[in-house]
Amino acid sequence: MAEYLQPGSVEEAAGMIASHGSSLAIVAGGTSAMRYSAPQAEQVMGVRGLGMNKIERSSGGLSLGAGVTMSQIRESLPIPALQDAARGVGGPAVQNMATIGGNIFARQPYGDVAVVLLALDATVTFSTANGERSQKLVEFYDAGAQADGLLTRIDCAAPGGELVYLKCGRRRFNSPTVVAVAACIGIDNGKVGNACIAFGGAGKHPMRCVAAEQALIGKALGDASIKAAAQQAAGACSPGTDSVATEWYRRRMIATYLTRALQQIAAG
Amino acid sequence: MASKIVSLKVNGKIEELVVSALMTLQDVLRDTLDYTSVKEGCRQGGCGSCSVIVDGELRLSCLTPIQEVDGSEVTTLEGLNQSNSITALQNQFVEKYAAQCGFCTPGMMVAIKALLDSNPNPDREEIVEALAGNICRCTGYLPIIEAVESVVAEMSGASGE
Repeated sequence: MAEYLQPGSVEEAAGMIASHGSSLAIVAGGTSAMRYSAPQAEQVMGVRGLGMNKIERSSGGLSLGAGVTMSQIRESLPIPALQDAARGVGGPAVQNMATIGGNIFARQPYGDVAVVLLALDATVTFSTANGERSQKLVEFYDAGAQADGLLTRIDCAAPGGELVYLKCGRRRFNSPTVVAVAACIGIDNGKVGNACIAFGGAGKHPMRCVAAEQALIGKALGDASIKAAAQQAAGACSPGTDSVATEWYRRRMIATYLTRALQQIAAG
Repeated sequence: MASKIVSLKVNGKIEELVVSALMTLQDVLRDTLDYTSVKEGCRQGGCGSCSVIVDGELRLSCLTPIQEVDGSEVTTLEGLNQSNSITALQNQFVEKYAAQCGFCTPGMMVAIKALLDSNPNPDREEIVEALAGNICRCTGYLPIIEAVESVVAEMSGASGE
């Protein structure tokens, strides 16, 4: 039977992670960890008491403690895309418990908020036994989503353009994700200047889709470029089959929902 | 194996308990303290039948490690017995046939209580969303939603049935 550890500080938590290694499961809200990782672990570390639930705003950007809950995002953040993503996570009880840090580690097809964070090109900060380490969320996922220490903070700048989030689910509320798409598009002189596109339900973890971005940059945001981006996205993703949807269906919905998101941005 | 003592205020009564590492709030409420309104449905956070109010917030007791709620105030359906809004809700549940097998009913009532505490005058859409985490396999939900609507109408002084 496991041991339940309650560190008194972030530093102490980082030390526990360093000394216990992979036999340790970290529980914040519990909505994912209490189902999957905690029952198998030798030690379980609860981080709810560490107070990592602050939201700070600075020069248009945001700094979110890893313990900020879905309910806090819904109530306190003025970014509709993030609010929509948080609203799509479980029912009200789950939203009161589930944290943004946990969402980044949630197994697919969960992790809706992380999709928006990818489109915002967020930075994640870990506290390790050797101090703090920051990296882009996209790099964290590209490297296989292996945590080094305790995730303490997520920072993102103000959106570099129009940000839209759309989710395809089986029900209107409390639905696991078939696919989720977040697109942030900046228009310069009538052409796409910068594009940041991310998907959920499209692979092993939330993924950014550079191929779809490249299909847009330098072009006018219209039928032709949107069609090209959707084709690139469907080709670049590698969705799985589960009880929510098949790989076949997800691939088609990725193209469909990206098309809708981009059309919404094009229409202003 | 490390045991620990936690103290909780459950339905107004202070409880001190010896708990083991991965016990959940649900284990303690249902098995140790005998608050059997806290149902064990899926134990995965998917059904809402274990819903309780912790420090004023709706939570799922099945996914809450007991050690994380040391010092908290917990309310189960048993603790809502004295509240007028729950009596009105119980009457409307009977009136509208909103309970059939009854397994989801305690979790539903706790979730509705949490809704009405934060929003005394919810519209239908808000009621549907507030109950999105509570699964009912008998009623098809409509009688439950109608029961809540009737209570809201009664409480806001309009003519209930």
